[in-house]
Amino acid sequence: MSRDLPNPGWGPLSTLPGNPLMWVLILSEMLVFTAFFALYAGQRALDPALFNASQQQLDPLLGGLNTLVLLTSGLCVALAVEAISIGRTQRTRLWLGAAMLLGVVFCAVKLIEYSDKFAAGLTPETNAFFGFYYGLTAFHFAHVLFGLALLGLVSWRTSTENVETAAAFWHMVDLIWILLYPLIYLIR
Amino acid sequence: MTALPGTRRLLITWVMLMGLTGVSMVSARLDQTTDWQALSLWSVALVLLATAFKAHRVLMVYLNLRAATPAWKGIFIGLILVTLALIAAGYLAGRFNLMG
Repeated sequence: MSRDLPNPGWGPLSTLPGNPLMWVLILSEMLVFTAFFALYAGQRALDPALFNASQQQLDPLLGGLNTLVLLTSGLCVALAVEAISIGRTQRTRLWLGAAMLLGVVFCAVKLIEYSDKFAAGLTPETNAFFGFYYGLTAFHFAHVLFGLALLGLVSWRTSTENVETAAAFWHMVDLIWILLYPLIYLIR
Repeated sequence: MTALPGTRRLLITWVMLMGLTGVSMVSARLDQTTDWQALSLWSVALVLLATAFKAHRVLMVYLNLRAATPAWKGIFIGLILVTLALIAAGYLAGRFNLMG
């Protein structure tokens, strides 16, 4: 039975794919984001008028576009895991390359958004909403950059465990954005 | 190596995720370019439901947690539900002025 487990000898973590320590990181990162989301929700409850007016300054279509880009990038990474599982290293690298390209597109769209906001005089110090907007999205942006570096690394050192580990982190980045998008851009 | 979802299931999931993102955007009335109003409670509920379903699909298919133990599935799904409940609670508290 234990031979079927992806990580035998890791106790409760033995059934998770990739490096088990990545899952510890993923769970802790998700808890941190949950705490920030709760803080945002609490602040919003205190001043919904300010948050509604500020949300109107955002571009929810660009946010939606970035959601589609990141979800498609997630598909590419999942297909890379499928490819490495059958020993297709070249195909794995192609899927990882496509995922990274889409990750770069996500970053470019986010930078366009930031520069638009700064040009309009909307900075993290404008009000509480924009403090959260920049704080949450920049923290997520940092995770995208780290994820891109990981994908680059495993494109070079391509093995099943490495690709599964980087894929798990990238999907976590996906997951956080799935929650962040409606919170910041849509719900008013 | 765990049992992977397979290309077909991944593609179906991707189509679902794209569709649910579209549902969220339509529910959020992004066509309101000049007349920006608060969403109806049904629209907010639909956005949150679509978000919950998207998160569930990413966890089960992309992250392949369906191959993990029920405890791990429960931990991650529970965390997502708690997060969405907190978001909904903050929204409702602001909407109905529950925080004074």
